[in-house]
Amino acid sequence: MKISELAETLQLELLTEPDYDDREITGCYIGDLLSWVMGRAKPQDVWITVMSNVNIVAVASLADAACVVVSEDVPIEDAVLQKANMQDVVILRSPLPSYELGLRVHEAAGI
Amino acid sequence: MKELSLHILDIAQNSVKANASLIQISIDEDTAADTLRITVADNGCGMDKELLQRVRDPFTTTRTTRKVGMGIPLMEMAAVGCGGSLDIQSQVGVGTTLCAVFGLSHIDRAPVGDMPGTMSVLVSGSPQIDFVYTHTVDGASFTFDTREIRTVLEDVPLDTPEVANWIQSYVQEGLDSLQTL
Repeated sequence: MKISELAETLQLELLTEPDYDDREITGCYIGDLLSWVMGRAKPQDVWITVMSNVNIVAVASLADAACVVVSEDVPIEDAVLQKANMQDVVILRSPLPSYELGLRVHEAAGI
Repeated sequence: MKELSLHILDIAQNSVKANASLIQISIDEDTAADTLRITVADNGCGMDKELLQRVRDPFTTTRTTRKVGMGIPLMEMAAVGCGGSLDIQSQVGVGTTLCAVFGLSHIDRAPVGDMPGTMSVLVSGSPQIDFVYTHTVDGASFTFDTREIRTVLEDVPLDTPEVANWIQSYVQEGLDSLQTL
């Protein structure tokens, strides 16, 4: 499943620029301890987190995650989104908690 | 990081890469002020103003193999996340001092973790560098100083397994005497 299809199915809010690279999603990782996520999220994962500072852009970039989904409608500063746009990191957001999002990713993408 | 000692290891490795000959690490727990202060001071090459301004940005690194450097950004996030802050002073040719303050009783503050192992790894990995580690709890302190160890060991190198084990036990006993954590 592509990022755009997941965003539509799960009604995710796209926070970064709309002309993103619509990559295929092959896995999902949920975690908030960034040093932990760095070594465990895999390329093309959807990474679900409540963290919202600029370090998530670096971790997503390092792990080569397909996109970041910020759960529970956590506010994100513009500076973070600007950095994400510069680094081609896609950030989406949902009001759902991480567990619920994980379930829906599983249902929608079969992963 | 799950333990503050991992941040210390990471930051001290920056000092090693900066060609320091002396790295001073201190952890100061102050119950009355409710703070835990970690300081890593080195006499390495230091940073110019331009690099010092960029160093909190995770997309700043001296590494050439990848574009991301998370050591300082993650430590700053950990400190700020429990009501503290991170400050870095640096001067080219003089050295760098990093100071991170954490809320001692804050629920999100990670435990100090394995400092005996951290000191042992640092000394074994860079036996030519002198390390000083001071841990203070409400004014009572314990100090580990490789300069003192060298005077006792004379010509024995610091990177042997025996010395590494001894450092680990010595630091552990010192910390036990302070009843930390």
